[in-house]
Amino acid sequence: MAKVIVYSTDMCPWCHKAKDFLKEHKIKFEDKNVGEDDAARDEMAEKSGQMGVPVIDIGGEIIIGFDIEAIKKALKI
Amino acid sequence: MITKEIIKMYDTIIVGGGVAGLGAAVYCGRFELKTLVLADKIGGTIILTGDIYNYPGFKKISGMELADKIKEHAGDYGIEIKEEKVSKIEKHGNFFKVNGYKTKTIIFATGTEWRKLNVRGEKEFSGKGVHYCSLCDGVLYKNKIVCVVGGSDSAAKEALMLTQWAKKVYIIYRKEKIRAEPINLKRVQESKKIEVINNTNVVSIKGDKFVNAVVFDKAYKGSKEFKLDAVFVEIGHIPVSGLAKGIGVKLNDKNEIIVDKDSKTNIKGFYACGDVVDSKFKQAITGVAEGVIAAYNAYEYLTKELPV
Repeated sequence: MAKVIVYSTDMCPWCHKAKDFLKEHKIKFEDKNVGEDDAARDEMAEKSGQMGVPVIDIGGEIIIGFDIEAIKKALKI
Repeated sequence: MITKEIIKMYDTIIVGGGVAGLGAAVYCGRFELKTLVLADKIGGTIILTGDIYNYPGFKKISGMELADKIKEHAGDYGIEIKEEKVSKIEKHGNFFKVNGYKTKTIIFATGTEWRKLNVRGEKEFSGKGVHYCSLCDGVLYKNKIVCVVGGSDSAAKEALMLTQWAKKVYIIYRKEKIRAEPINLKRVQESKKIEVINNTNVVSIKGDKFVNAVVFDKAYKGSKEFKLDAVFVEIGHIPVSGLAKGIGVKLNDKNEIIVDKDSKTNIKGFYACGDVVDSKFKQAITGVAEGVIAAYNAYEYLTKELPV
């Protein structure tokens, strides 16, 4: 199973949706709060070229935003 | 799993999953209409607004929670909801096809999308310093300099929200004076972090990997170029009415769908509600009410008018 990291902030609704989606599908993920953790924020910016959340890293594949189709494809579900 | 093959014909398909569409879904359920809700993202724009203080019965509720509650309510009546982007609507005699699903009626509740600035750099730096949701991305600009472009009450609220994180928030407005509600205007004026720059337009957005400046149409403190870290665009919304227009639904000059007090459009069996219609006052509660009226009139049409 690919390692999944979700870069999120507390208040971002699409981050919650993305995490709920992963939980529903019983996908384990690491949640990095980029609002609190500056190193995680910089890591996200470096990986994705983005300063917007959510960013989801699925085994190195970077998905920007809560893009269900892209998430499903990357996870093969 | 219900497939397109098993269900031959829906009574109604609700296009859009915001509170107006979900409110319609609750009543479609109560009327026992075979209903499908299709939306690429359930919840709609309200989930990006933070807390809501004007939905009767709830003194304070987050947009996300309100949308979830109405969705859950619709779910109690067995309404089928699919997160699927609608890309095609066709009309065939007495029925319609939505993404290939057949239906006798449509309740169109697609809402609005953010109006873009349409300036150089906006698209290039989208998500890289150009943002449309301060609730989502504001926290990434702790101790940074940001601006909100726009002069509405929403723009004022966005600016106030951003003061939690940013060290300085500029409101850039093209006209003489921002139009915030009195309570928010006072908060803006009292905030030490907010400064309003009136009578000024942003004409381009510059940066390297991320935004580092905007360019104004006139000099501010001696320069047209203004250094900052992020631009939050809040200049209103435009109706998502293209698919309706495609089958001949009449729009007004703002591209809003023209409806009557029964949420009917000029096309039989096609109803519309919420932010996409030509109502003057667009609120969650009015959108939900329009959705409910649409559901009722769809029910009336299905039971009394439509030839079997």
